[in-house]
Formats: sequence, structure tokens, C-alpha cells
Amino acid sequence: MAAAAPMEVDSGNGVVQRKQSIYKSMDESFEIQKEMYRGQQYSQIYFARLHLMRTLLYSLLPTWKPHLPICTVLGLEEGKECIIVGTLYKHMKLKPSILDEYSKERSASPLVKAHNFVHSDDYLVLEDESGRVKLRGSLLLPSVYVTGIVVALHGKETGAGDFMVEDILEAGLPHQIELPLNSGEDKYVAFVSGLSVGSSSANPLHFQLFVDHITGHLGDEKEQGIAAQIVQVVVAGNSVEFPRGLLNGQNLGSKDQSRLSEPIKELDILLTQIAAGIPLDIMPGTGDPANFSLPQQPLHKCLFPGSAAYNTFRSCTNPHSFELDNVRFLGTSGQNIEDLAKYSDAKSKLEFMERTLRWRHLAPTAPNTLGCYPFTDRDPFFIEKCPHVYFVGNQEKYESSLIKGSDGQVVRLICIPRLLKQELLSWDDLNRLRANSNAN
Amino acid sequence: MSATGNPRKRQQPPTPATPSPQLKHQAVMEEEDFDEDVFLEETLLQYEEEDSQRRALADRLAKWKRPALSPSLLSQSQNIVFQQLEIDYVIGDSHKELLPSSSGPAAIIRIFGVTKEGHSVCCLVHGFEPYFYISCPPGMGPDDISHFHQILEGRMREANRNSKVPKFVRRIELVQRRSIMYYQQQGSQPFLKIVVALPTMVTSCRGILDRGIQIDGLDLISHVPEGEFSKMAPFRILSFDIECAGRKGLFPEPTHDPVIQVANLVTLQGEDQPFVRNVMTLKSCAPIVGVDVMSFDTEKELLLAWRDFIREVDPDIIIGYNICKFDLPYLIQRAEVLGIAEFPVLGRIRNSRVRVKDTTFSSRQYGTRESKEVTVEGRLQFDLLQAMQRDHKLSSYSLNSVSAHFLNEQKEDVHHSIISDLQNGNSETRRRLAVYCLKELNICYAYLPQRLLDKLMFVYNYVEMARVTGVPFSFLLSRGQSIKVLSQLLRKAKQKNLVIPNVKQAGSEQGTYEGATVLEARAGFYEKPIATLDFASLYPSIMMAYNLCYCTLVTPEDARKLNLPPECVNKTPSGETFVKSNLQKGILPEILEELLAARKRAKADLKEAKDPLEKAVLDGRQLALKISANSVYGFTGATIGQLPCLEISSSVTSYGRQMIEHTKKLVEDKFTVLGGYEHNAEVIYGDTDSVMVQFGVSSVDEAMNLGREAADYISGTFIKPIKLEFEKVYYPYLLISKKRYAGLYWTNPKKFDKMDTKERDVPGAVQYVKNTISDLLMNRMDLSLLVITKGLTKTGDDYEVKAAHVELAERMRKRDAATAPNVGDRVPYVIIKAAKGAKAYERSEDPIYVLENNIPIDPHYYLENQISKPLLRIFEPILKNASKELLQGSHTRSISISTPSNSGIMKFAKKQLTCIGCKALISNSDHTLCSHCKGREAELYCKSIANVAELEELFGRLWTQCQECQGSLHQDVLCTSAYFAQPRLSNILSEKKSTERHGRSQATIGSMELLILEDLVVDVKMQQACNPACRDILFSVLAESFSMAISRGYPGAFYEHLNIPKMSFY
Repeated sequence: MAAAAPMEVDSGNGVVQRKQSIYKSMDESFEIQKEMYRGQQYSQIYFARLHLMRTLLYSLLPTWKPHLPICTVLGLEEGKECIIVGTLYKHMKLKPSILDEYSKERSASPLVKAHNFVHSDDYLVLEDESGRVKLRGSLLLPSVYVTGIVVALHGKETGAGDFMVEDILEAGLPHQIELPLNSGEDKYVAFVSGLSVGSSSANPLHFQLFVDHITGHLGDEKEQGIAAQIVQVVVAGNSVEFPRGLLNGQNLGSKDQSRLSEPIKELDILLTQIAAGIPLDIMPGTGDPANFSLPQQPLHKCLFPGSAAYNTFRSCTNPHSFELDNVRFLGTSGQNIEDLAKYSDAKSKLEFMERTLRWRHLAPTAPNTLGCYPFTDRDPFFIEKCPHVYFVGNQEKYESSLIKGSDGQVVRLICIPRLLKQELLSWDDLNRLRANSNAN
Repeated sequence: MSATGNPRKRQQPPTPATPSPQLKHQAVMEEEDFDEDVFLEETLLQYEEEDSQRRALADRLAKWKRPALSPSLLSQSQNIVFQQLEIDYVIGDSHKELLPSSSGPAAIIRIFGVTKEGHSVCCLVHGFEPYFYISCPPGMGPDDISHFHQILEGRMREANRNSKVPKFVRRIELVQRRSIMYYQQQGSQPFLKIVVALPTMVTSCRGILDRGIQIDGLDLISHVPEGEFSKMAPFRILSFDIECAGRKGLFPEPTHDPVIQVANLVTLQGEDQPFVRNVMTLKSCAPIVGVDVMSFDTEKELLLAWRDFIREVDPDIIIGYNICKFDLPYLIQRAEVLGIAEFPVLGRIRNSRVRVKDTTFSSRQYGTRESKEVTVEGRLQFDLLQAMQRDHKLSSYSLNSVSAHFLNEQKEDVHHSIISDLQNGNSETRRRLAVYCLKELNICYAYLPQRLLDKLMFVYNYVEMARVTGVPFSFLLSRGQSIKVLSQLLRKAKQKNLVIPNVKQAGSEQGTYEGATVLEARAGFYEKPIATLDFASLYPSIMMAYNLCYCTLVTPEDARKLNLPPECVNKTPSGETFVKSNLQKGILPEILEELLAARKRAKADLKEAKDPLEKAVLDGRQLALKISANSVYGFTGATIGQLPCLEISSSVTSYGRQMIEHTKKLVEDKFTVLGGYEHNAEVIYGDTDSVMVQFGVSSVDEAMNLGREAADYISGTFIKPIKLEFEKVYYPYLLISKKRYAGLYWTNPKKFDKMDTKERDVPGAVQYVKNTISDLLMNRMDLSLLVITKGLTKTGDDYEVKAAHVELAERMRKRDAATAPNVGDRVPYVIIKAAKGAKAYERSEDPIYVLENNIPIDPHYYLENQISKPLLRIFEPILKNASKELLQGSHTRSISISTPSNSGIMKFAKKQLTCIGCKALISNSDHTLCSHCKGREAELYCKSIANVAELEELFGRLWTQCQECQGSLHQDVLCTSAYFAQPRLSNILSEKKSTERHGRSQATIGSMELLILEDLVVDVKMQQACNPACRDILFSVLAESFSMAISRGYPGAFYEHLNIPKMSFY
């Protein structure tokens, strides 16, 4: 728990007091403490996931289809209707294989990076500890599902040894803590992602405008009033961008050395200005100097000699979860949704986000296509409690919607655009789960 | 026997000596009933002597029986049409009813096949008479024959004393025949046709007479596989795989190691899904979805159950991977060791045992291969390994790499030493093993039918080959090219009443002849389009055009004697004389015409084919036919072959040379400024069957038009079917020397088809070369790029000159015989640094061993032998001072050689910490950076973490790939706990070593509490490389971590932690 010190926003005719709120970090499950690479395999995380989800799904079965027997894949009998619970595996024709990259002629044409690997020949397989069975049926669309989701299926085995699916049960939205009562005052959380400091297309002016804006150095009284209501800034990944080819393990010349540290220094200056005024969470993203696998660990403090001095500056994990005045936030820098978009289809990014909530798993494609630490005893991406606000960073455009669960859960979904691309800032109203965006 | 392996559908086999078709028909019918009886009797027997469990098994097997015979077949009212698969002969008593005139043992030809309905047929052909011819000595008349017969019979009896054959020489006839050798004017001359009782007697009898002979086999009429007959009979194809419990570190041997699992898949030809899928296991095994699991308590029960399975399912074709060399002989030898005498009765003939013998197959084209031949009567064996080795050049023929290559599908590889552990576990672990075993089959299977070669096509392909060349199906896999040519020769000879002499193996004393010509290459870089004129199938066309054959060759004496008119003969440039086709049409030209016609058909089909798979198959077929056509020429030139005739082969090459010269002359005479063309054409190069012309025009379009004109013009001056074709234009074109050139390849004036060279950016290319050389010298080169691979075609002693890969194979055999490469494998090696003056072949080393022991490679060897020569060849035409520019200079100065971890001196070396930033020694082990580099924390952190990120990504992708190969998410990967983990971990390990120091100095750089950095225990034992692709990754990942470490200033010493156990290639 950390409460921000009272801070002021400059104003021409007097001082507007910045609002405050109570912050509680929920990142613990995403932190890697004693875990180490000791040659663990990914089977264990799948096992942990299956175990967690199965217990949950089994508890839902009596209300879903109480009359049907539960089977394992191995116990299937031809023609007998039953329910099986297991992990989905999607067999994909176009899925790139690392072996190709190494075994095919290296100099020959570079491997084409497709945006989406979905193909009409893809099919789903359900797997539990006992075995695999191929799934059939028009209900279960391979283009929607991805490897790694645990579901309960109702159906029967056909003569060909396949399982004809008649109905699907997903875990659904988890339980949500009650939204605190409206306290009457508006408080905002500002989200920003994809600062990409150091990129060739980055404009320092934009950054400065952005900083001035949220710190209340810009705009009229009304705007300053709004700025004063920002109680938290979240930087959701991809804050810096290094020139390509610098980090290839070779020794750097002195010119390159500075090119490498320059963006970090610049970012530090920006963040120092924000952290001096508003509590700030920074999450690592794909392009940041952090590890690759999810959960990404906090950016190292040695990178931010300036801003790290403030106690308002928090370097967080990705995914990141926290509570502000008992409103729960959960979000990522975008990798989980990015990966879903590669291996499945949906109308919008928001739909992907909603799916992950309903599947109750933040990153179902990890570890299959999304890098992930090989946990042995837990699956940190399992969503235990429903957040009130669910955000993902580094998206193409700003999008937001409100979804409701069957138990009265209400979740605000937000896609945060890359600052560089859209020059937009996302706002989130703490009290009414209102979201809006603001052109910079 | 020159019996053929055609897909023939025969109604009534019109065998010469068969008295009446009706009787023949009956013979076939009897055979069918007989087959049925076998099964009935067997099952009855089992019911009597076995317990209920056994009965259950028999019931299970009974499901897969062949369909019952229809009444119309039983009542003999219907003709039997079947597709022939196998053909062989046995020695048996001659048939009393069919051949009342003869008695005693005789050769009975058996044709095995399947009818449309799926009935199994074994057709016995009686009355086959092996015979040969001798030329009738002058003065011998019909009256002398009986006397001669008596003498010969006596001599034969002497030679075969133990034999109980009542009559060796059946009869001797005086016939009119003609020898195939040399042109003869008179139609024919008397020959004695000696008919003996058994085929084996031909040799001994011939030995006695020591004369030219000709044996001939059946003259059967087969249905051309067209229309109704192009359909395939529903063959039953069995794919099987066995697993043995090996002892640790040793390859399983039948004398010690039990067979623990046999997995089977049976498919009907033309269907996607197998109709039988089962696994037989020793000891209990947990059930598997969709698979019939049968468990047995003893190995004997297991083996016998398999035998029963084979007999009940009655497969026509047995496929598998390496079954001929491993699985089948293993089962049989194992049964022998266990004393199960009743096991090896697997054939279609009752009570006939399967025999195993060692064979060595040697061919110029395919190298020497040792194999075991297991004869399972009536069942065709199709070993995919053999087919692969024969038809495709791959760096490894392990099932895994083959499937990776063709199907893009990996399979996990369970090493034989793990197999025992799995077997000794519980029913779950045995289930695991069974799943693995089945997966192997599935790949084998998915192979044939669906992806690589639709099974129909595969069979068709071979069937087509068999049909054209007239050799049995099984010969195509097990024999070389010349048997095909010989078989065609025999066929044609029989039709034309010609006999073929039995030429004694003359060795190489006949000398050699002049080969193809290569015009002097005018090396250089050509910036104008170069048109290429090719002769289509040059050698076969020459043989056809000039009617070159054994039977058209005129000996010099005959030429003088016969005084043939010059318009009837061709005098070849090499001085031989052949008659023209109006006097005598040659057999070889006829054979070639057939082959080329078949190829033309295949090519036409190829044009119409849409499906890429079908295309591949047809392309394979036309290529095979092309090879066959070309091998006819080779057959005449093979001095240790069946029927060498150097007069023919030297004539062929002499014509070839003449034609190239002729083309050159015509082009340079006609396409001149004087002749009305814009430029003088210039022939810059010519090889065996192609000529490169620079017409001097600057556009591809014009060059193409001129090329076409030239081809047509010159073709007109040749005798048909020799034809010069215009195919392509190179523009630009780099001619380095004979046989070495590169260029952009155009067949269409609008766009080029493929890029053969890099862009013409000479300075860029030079810089690229310099960087590469520098990388090589700095030891930054990916080791996998330095691996040289060569096929081991014979054992060390057979090579006259010491070759690097052979020496290495020998050395590896001494280190570990089980994993050393065998004849037929491809051996990868790198050249290592060694004492001065050591020969290259002494410096070859196994790449894995090099990595394991951190042995320095010899960059200069690569620079001097592998790189500089080709580089200079390429650059000399375009760059002055190429050698100086490229191979000397500042970029070659800094050299870094890794220190071997196994050498003595390193044991005395003391490791000291250096600053990550500047490599200065630092004394305080709590710090990572020296005081000077402190300000660069952020930068250095970024660099380290970037490496970590990269490794993590690789880690994730590799492991999930492993899961993919394994086909399970919830189970630990078996082979790879083993395999992938190792390069991965070792990589992380080296990473860890550098970052650990960050970790230790938390005070300065803060906690790099990133996952990897703490103690990392590597206790995974690597078992075996999954496949070459994985191996490549191993190399490159390791090499990468090496270079990373090197660039950070870490001496190679700490690589002793990289404990990579031996991998084996197989």
C-alpha cells in the first residue's frame, strides 16, 4: 500500500489540489521470486491450468447439465453422450515452426511474417492427462478458439474416434468484488502506451505536451481541473525503442553505446516530470529492456536514476494488477491480445479481451505461442477475481466497451493506442467506470 | 528368369506349355481353396490347444479376414482377373494332370496377386522350362543331337551327384536363331536349344559347355494398365514397427534383447484410414483411443500372435521404415533365439519358412549398401528407407528427418535406452511407448498414402517403371540400373529370335574411350544476354538417329567381306561401322524409343496435372524414365557389366563431340554481320549437351528470338530425332571456368525466373566477403555453417585415397561403434586445428565432439580450401587484385581461437573476473563493473537483458515445438528432456555466467533477479538428437552463445560446464 503525497497543480488563480486515492498493488502473483530455469517443461503449467479450471468447471456442471456423466478422453465410449473437460489444442496448418527457420536455407528469402495464421483446415483437439480426441461439430469454431483454453464439452464419440460436440461450457466471468459506492468526486486514471522514445518517428514535442497536459501545466482552468483529478498514470509498455541491430551481442563502439543509452535517459527525464506530480506505474512491453517471457518483470531501477528517486514511481510487472480505492484494474502491455489476433479471429480487439475474461485466462496462448515462464505449481494468468477495469496497451486504435457478466459483474474494457500512432490519451473514470479518450 | 513385374491383369495365363486353358483355370482355383483351408485348419488347431484368452485373440483376428469367396468364383464360372504383385519360382514335382509327359522336380512359377474384390490369389504356372542356346558347331546335324544329349546328361549327372532328378537335360532342339552381336547378313543360323529341368541347372550346364547361352522366361501377355485395368486392386498394405528393449548404450541385438512391442496398421489400397490399428505389447498396457491393444505375458505369445495376425490379415504389401534391414530380420532371429520354430511361417505358402540372407548391393549410382534380404513369399516388401535412399539425396535418412523434410512434421524420438525404462515401468509408461510406436507408423503411413506420394501414385510409379523395363517390382528397389536395360534387351531379343551371348566378366581390360567434349570456356563477366542451346536427350537421340546397337555393328572384317554399300552404313567419327535401319533395325534404339515415348506421356500428363503432389510424382516418373534412357548408353559402356560394347559407347560420345563442334561452327558461320545480322555471334562455352552463345544483342527478347532461330536452323541439319532446343537465356552471366557459371535465368523476356547470383553490387559483395572472413577468423562463425557433409559409400579399406569423412567414420567407430556412421550414411565433419603438417583427413572431426570438447576449428583451412578458391573464381573476372583485396588486409588480422577445454594447460589457468564493460580485471568480486564503467550501467544492463530476452524467446519456442512433435501438452517431453533442453540450458548457462556477476553485485547494478541468473542446475542427460533440424539448432545456438561469450571477453574455459553428451547419427 502506498498513498501518494499531496501534490499541487499549478494554476493561474490559485492552486488546485490534486486528488488522491488509495493504491494497492496486486502484482504479487506475477512476480518471479524464487523460480528459476531448471529445465522445467511446459507440461506442468498446462497441468496446473487444467487442474484449476477443471475444479471450477466441475462446480458449474450441476447447474449446466446435471444429468450427463463426466468422462475422461480415454473413457469415451462410442455413441455415449457425456461431458469431457480438457485443454483445447488447435492444429494449425500455417503455424510457423522454429525448425523451419533453422533448417530451411537460411539465406533464401526471409520467412514471410503473416499477420494471421488462421486457416480453414485448422481443427481442434481436446486433451486431458489421458489422451487426445479430435473434435467435430459446427458449434466449436476453430477460428475462435486457441490452444490452451480449458472448456467442458458435451457430446459423444463417433465411429471414427472423433468427438461430436453438441454444447460448450466456458468458465465465464469470475466473481467480482463489489464496486465501491460513488463517493461523489471524479477521479481519473490516465493510461498511455507505446511512447517509443528513441524511435525515428517519435516527436519530443508530443511527449512534452503529454507530460504538461497531465501534470496540469497546460490548458484552461477546466482542463486543469480535470488534470487535477488524475490520481494515477499507467504507462503500459513499449516506452523506448532501440535502434535495430544494436543488441546483437557484439561489442559496441562508443558511438553506439550512447545511442543505446540515449532513449532511456530521455524517458527517465519524462518520467521524472510525471512522477514528481502524479503516482506513476510503468509496465514493461515487448520493446523495453526487460525479459521476453510473460510475466515480464519490472524494469530495472538502474535504468531510471532520476525518477526512481520518487516514491510515486513504481516499476511494475506485465501483466499488472492493482486496486485504486477498491476499484480493481488488470491489464497487459498487449502481448496476450496480439497473440490471440495472430492465432484466432474476431471482429475487434475488444472481442478478444472479452473472450479472455470469459475463458478466465489472461493469456491462453502462453506458453504455446506466447513466451511464458515455465511455472511448475501455478498458472498466474488464471483470472481469479474479475477486475473492474481491464486494459491492454499498444493497440492500433482507442476502443472501449462495457461488458456485463451473468452475476452482475461489470467490466470496462479499454484498448490503449500507441501514443506514437494516435496521439491519444486514455482516461478512465474511477467511479463510474467511464472511459474516454482525449486528443493530445 | 526374365519374368516381369507388371501390373498385369491376366485372365488365362497363356503359358506355352499349358495344355488347355480350362485346366489352367482349375489350377488357379485349387490354389484359392487351398489358401482358405490353411486358415480354417490353423484356427481349429488353436481352439484345441489354447486357453480362452487365446480364443479371444483368434476371434479378434478373425474380424480382419479376407472376404469370403463368392459362389460364382467357387463354381468356376467366372474368370479370375487379378493384379500381379510378386513373382518367384519354387522347385516342386511337376503337375501330373497338367503335364502328364514330364516327371520329377520342375520349376513352378508362382504369381501372387489380388483380385478386384480383394481375394488373394496365388497362381501356379507349371511347365516352365529353363533353356539356353548354344551355337551349333559346324557339321553337326540333327542326327548327332541324341548322342550329344547323352553325353551332356552324363556330364550333368557327374556334376550333380546328390540330385535325384531323373532327367537333367529334358531335350535338345535344333533351331534357327541369330546372335545379337554384330550385323549379319544371313537371317539366322542353327542353334541348339537345350532345355533343362531346373533353372539352377542352367548355370552348371552352361559351365560344362562353356558357351554362349540365353535363358529366357515366360512370354506372358499383360494387360496395359489403361481403362478398366488402370484401377488398382485393393491391396492390403501392412505397416509395422517393432520396439526392442535395448541395454544401456547398446544397439538392440536379437540374441539378448526382447521384442516388447509390435504396432501394426493395415490399410486397403485407395482408402484413407487404416482398417486395422493395433499394438501388441509385452506385459499390460493402458488402453489407447482408437487402437486395439493386445497384451501378452511372454515374448513367445507376442511373436506367435503377430504371426497369426499376419496370416489372418494376409497383407499383400508390407511396408515400414528399415524393415528389411532391421525389423523383419530381428523378429526372425529373435524367434530363433527363443526357439520358436513355428514362428517364421509368415508367407502365403503354407508351411514355408521365411528365409533371411545377407545381401550386398553394389551399384555405381547408389553406392554399396549392405542389407538383409528376408523372403516372405507372396508378400511384397517395400522398405521406405530404401526408397528414400534411392530416390532422394538427403543429409540424413532417419525417419524423423525424412518426415521433417517431406511432411514438415516432426516426431519425437525415443532413444532405445529409454525404451527399456519405459517397458519396465507400469502399464501407463508402456502405453506411452505404444503411442510412440504408433506415431512412427503413422508417419510412415501418412507418407505413402497422403502427402509425399499418394500411395496410388507411388505404386503406379514403380508399376510404370516395372512395365516399361520389364523387371519385377522388387528389383526396382533392390537392384541397379543395368538389370533394367538387360531385361528390356532380353524381351526384345526374344521377339526377334535373337540370342544374347554370355560374355564373361572381362574386367576393365577393354580399356576406356574418350568421353564428352567441353568447349573451352571464355571466362568473364558477360553483360549481354547469353542464349543456351541444349540437345534434348542427346545420347539416346544419337543412338536412335544412327541406329547404334549390338545387332547393327559391323566388325572390320565383316565390313571388308560383306562389302556393304556406303549408303546403307554409317561410319561413326570413332571409326566404327553400323548398318542403317533399312538393313537392320537396332534393338537399343527401339528400347529407347519406348522409354522416350513413355517419358513424353509422363511429361504431357505433367503439363496437365494441377495438384502439386501429382506433379511431383509425374516429374519423378519422367525423370526416372530419362535416367533409364540414359542408362542404356551407360550399359554399353559398363566394362564390368552384362554386355559391354565399347564400340557403341565410344561412337555415341564421338557423335556427341562432333555435334557440339558442328553447332559451334554453324552458329559462328551463320550469325555474322556478313550474314545480315547485327553482330557476330560468339560461342563462349559448350558442355556435353549444351552450347552457350552470345549473339551480341543487348535485350533478352532479341537473344531469345535469335536463339530460337539458331536452334531450328541447326536442328534441321541433324538426323532425326536429334534436336537442338532453345531453352533459356542467361543475363547477366558470369562464366568462371568449365562447369562453373552463374547468371540470371530467363525463359520469358519479361521477367527472370530465378536469381543465380547476387546483385551486381561489387563493393557491397566485397564488404560482405570481408565481414564473413573476419567472422570466420574471429571464431564468430556459426559452426553449423562450417560443417561439411559427405556420403560414406564404402568402408575405409575400400577407399584408395584417404578421405576426411572416411577417416572420421573410422575414428568414431573406435570411440563408440554403436553411433558411428555406417556405409550409406552421410558423415558431417569440420576441420580442426592440429599439429603442423597434419593432413586434412587427420584433422576432420565430428562437429558434436568439437562442441563438446571445445576443440578449435581451423579457420585457415576453410579460408584457403573452402572459401578462397571459389571466391577468387567468382571475383577474378570482375575485380582486379581480387586475392589481395579479399584475402589479405586489416579484416584478416585479428584472430580468435577458442581454447580447448580438454587440453592440459587449461587446468592450470586461473579464472579471474573482468569488468563486463571494458574487460579490465576487477578484484572485488561483489562488483560487475570497474569504477571506470560505472556510468554505463543502463547501457550494459540493456545489452544483457536483450540477450536474456532472446534466449527466453528461444526457450519458449523450442519447448513448445517439442510439445508439438510429441503431440501432447500435459505430458513431459521424452526425447527432449534430453535434447532441446540441453542446447537451451547450455545457452542460458553461458548467459548466466556473464549475468551472474551482475547478480552478485546487487549493490551496484541492483538485483538482476531475473529468472535465469541464479544457480542453474543442468542434470539433464541428453540422449540423442531428434533429427538434423534439431541438430542444426544445437549447432547454431551453441555457436551463438560462443560468439556472444567471446565478444564479452570470456575465455572458452568455462565451457567445461557445457556437458553435452554424445549424440548419434543414424
